[in-house]
Amino acid sequence: MSTHLVEVIITSKAGVRDPEGETIHKHLILKKGYSAITSVRTGKYLLMTVNTNSAEEALKIVKEACEKLRIYNPIVHDIEVRLRA
Amino acid sequence: MPLTQEEVEEIRKILGREPTVEELAMFEAQWSEHCSYKSSRLLLKLLPTEGMHVVVGPGRDAPAVRLFKDFAIVFKIESHNHPSAVDPYDGAATGIGGIVRDILTLGAKPVALLDMLYMGEPWDPHANWLIRGIVKGISDYGNRIGVPTVAGDTWFDYAFNTQPLVNVACVGIVPLNRLVLGSIRPGDYIIIMGNATGRDGLLGSSFASKPLAEDTDKEIGAVQVGDPLTEKLLIDALQILVSRRLVKYIKDLGGGGLTTAISETCADHGLGAAIELEKLHIRQKLTPLELLVSESQERMLVVVEPVKLSEVEEILRNYDVMYSVIGRFTEDGVIKVFCNGVKVAEVPAKELARPRAVRRVSHPPAEALKGLKPLYSLPPEPSYEEALTKLLSSPNIASKRWIYEQYDHEVGVRTVVKPGLGDAAVLRLLDGSSRGFAIKGDANPRYTSIDPFNGAANSVAECFRNLVAVGAKPIAIVDELNAGNPEKPEHFWYFEMMLKGLAWMAEELRLPVVGGKVSFYNEDHRGRQVKPTTTIVGVGRVKDVSRAVTMDLKESDSVIAVVGVTYPELGGSEYLYKVFGLEEGEIPRPRPASELRNAKLILKAVELGLVNAVHDISVGGFAVALAEMAILGNLGVEVDLDLVHARGVMRLDELLFSETQARYVVEVKSNRVEEFKRLAQRMGVRISLAGRVLDKPVLILLKGSKTILSADLGLLRDSYNSLEKAIEGGA
Repeated sequence: MSTHLVEVIITSKAGVRDPEGETIHKHLILKKGYSAITSVRTGKYLLMTVNTNSAEEALKIVKEACEKLRIYNPIVHDIEVRLRA
Repeated sequence: MPLTQEEVEEIRKILGREPTVEELAMFEAQWSEHCSYKSSRLLLKLLPTEGMHVVVGPGRDAPAVRLFKDFAIVFKIESHNHPSAVDPYDGAATGIGGIVRDILTLGAKPVALLDMLYMGEPWDPHANWLIRGIVKGISDYGNRIGVPTVAGDTWFDYAFNTQPLVNVACVGIVPLNRLVLGSIRPGDYIIIMGNATGRDGLLGSSFASKPLAEDTDKEIGAVQVGDPLTEKLLIDALQILVSRRLVKYIKDLGGGGLTTAISETCADHGLGAAIELEKLHIRQKLTPLELLVSESQERMLVVVEPVKLSEVEEILRNYDVMYSVIGRFTEDGVIKVFCNGVKVAEVPAKELARPRAVRRVSHPPAEALKGLKPLYSLPPEPSYEEALTKLLSSPNIASKRWIYEQYDHEVGVRTVVKPGLGDAAVLRLLDGSSRGFAIKGDANPRYTSIDPFNGAANSVAECFRNLVAVGAKPIAIVDELNAGNPEKPEHFWYFEMMLKGLAWMAEELRLPVVGGKVSFYNEDHRGRQVKPTTTIVGVGRVKDVSRAVTMDLKESDSVIAVVGVTYPELGGSEYLYKVFGLEEGEIPRPRPASELRNAKLILKAVELGLVNAVHDISVGGFAVALAEMAILGNLGVEVDLDLVHARGVMRLDELLFSETQARYVVEVKSNRVEEFKRLAQRMGVRISLAGRVLDKPVLILLKGSKTILSADLGLLRDSYNSLEKAIEGGA
């Protein structure tokens, strides 16, 4: 058994709007002159500490939990599950 | 739903040539069931829509009724059933956004939201996820635009496990002389304000006009994300534009997008329009077709006369609201759409806006017989205490605290009677007077699925009673008919019967149906319809909000009176379902004459200050109504069932749990009992002075000298407050 840190990043799919990101971009970033930044997308970040025998198993368990517990909506969201570097 | 071959043929005839792809898309959007009401329009004519209070009836985005001589109330209901099944959070949130914009179109200030949610069983994992998402979506959107969610209705039922019904309503108030009712002239400008148009929600109305696909993953284009920040800017900017009388006409860009907004506006005014699509502000590069039918949220159309254009533009810029002036109205009744100088569509507005109505085939299924079945051989009666506990903990009856505590129900400081305490919400106008209004939404999916005609009539009656119970005079209703697939005769029959029941009861109770919505195709991917449901939202006038009445018991030694007569009517009751697992039998009869008579007594008694508390009897029957009043007031009661007027009752459970209509439980002030009795006598209303309020926390039911139930109020309260556990601990 060893401890693994697994990161979960949930964002809206590419075609889906992100009013929060748009607001941050338009009303904060552009207003303060950072015109090099051309867009902002927001999302949700989860860091899970997982006790398993292998890193693969840790990823699998986290993926399953996110799916089964509906931590994200597969119809609207993209999910990225990865080990913390 | 794509156009049928006959419809394409008809379009050719209208245009006298082959339609362009843009024109076809416009027709597809506008002729969808969602926008055109083609299957329902003929039957909707049955509804009584006129009345002395009606200022604007059906036809506009929202109706207006006169609340007081100088104030109008604008209210409307909307469904977001299909989007909420796919993406509960955003689906429900955008439903709120849409209904708020409908209210804005008459120049009213939105002051209250209602949510009528018919969802799956909390212990079903998928349904549980939908429930949480829907409630959170409504909560976040409503809270962020600063409009309180003050009332609603909730039902949990296996029939809604995959396809919930999310009906939302908004109420706005406006001084009568500020209503935006201007007439449009040729040459007036068409401005689109609010969000930039994008690819989101492409042909969403067509999506709502067909059954859910098994693989909803592919419906990504129909997913919309709510943008409450922009909505709030729309609300604020429109308030200014309206108060300075700068706009003649306002319309929401909802289902059907730009196409619907322009075609309906033109058709209603006998005008045409010339549109330059390239002027529309956009979020991404779109084809003319996409620009015409995109259903991007938080957009509105406003009409401005030329001399006021610059002033309007200045205000919109100041409010940081994006806008574009996309064209002008014309005299010829034809909508011409150009993109960079190239004409992409030329369509007569009237023919586009109003497709030929269809009279659908209608046929009762064999299943409809269960509503005609008299109940005469029920299983033996259970323990009354056990039955009462079961009912109080049923999600359909239990306190909806878990839901309304997620909502801000006080923002705006108008809310007088808050969720959970009264049969309806009561709000003050906040104009310096003590005037106000009451509002409530109601439905009973079980009734309408067993007996759609009488079930729909009972929804109207329950809404009527709820308003009366807080001391409000009901003045108008709006309706939402949630039905199955109109192309299936056995689904359409339910719609037809619900509509007829609604029309009949509204007429009998003298409640004009000033607006409403129809939602079809509420079926799962196997083609089973959900329980067809008639949702009614009603408003009532409150002359003095300080006299509004809640349902919690207030004073020991006061007297418990039952208003109305109880019949053995257990068919379709929550008791029959929870205790015996049965969903059948004759549902309670609608009793319009008794409703009117009994309501008059309640309103008079409230006015004279004879009562401490009033609660209408509905789901769960008399025993549940009584228990709710005791639990909320934290005072015990003792009632002798022998004293409760009933006819033909053979068993005690019929007396305790029948959901007979036109009844109320009233707490009469101990020193006003004689007055109350005389008043009832004079009005010819049957009342039963059957018990009294105790100063110890216990609910006691007697039959003469025999105690048939004695329950600790604390235990009953635990059952009543169990919804949170059902949802949080459910999945």
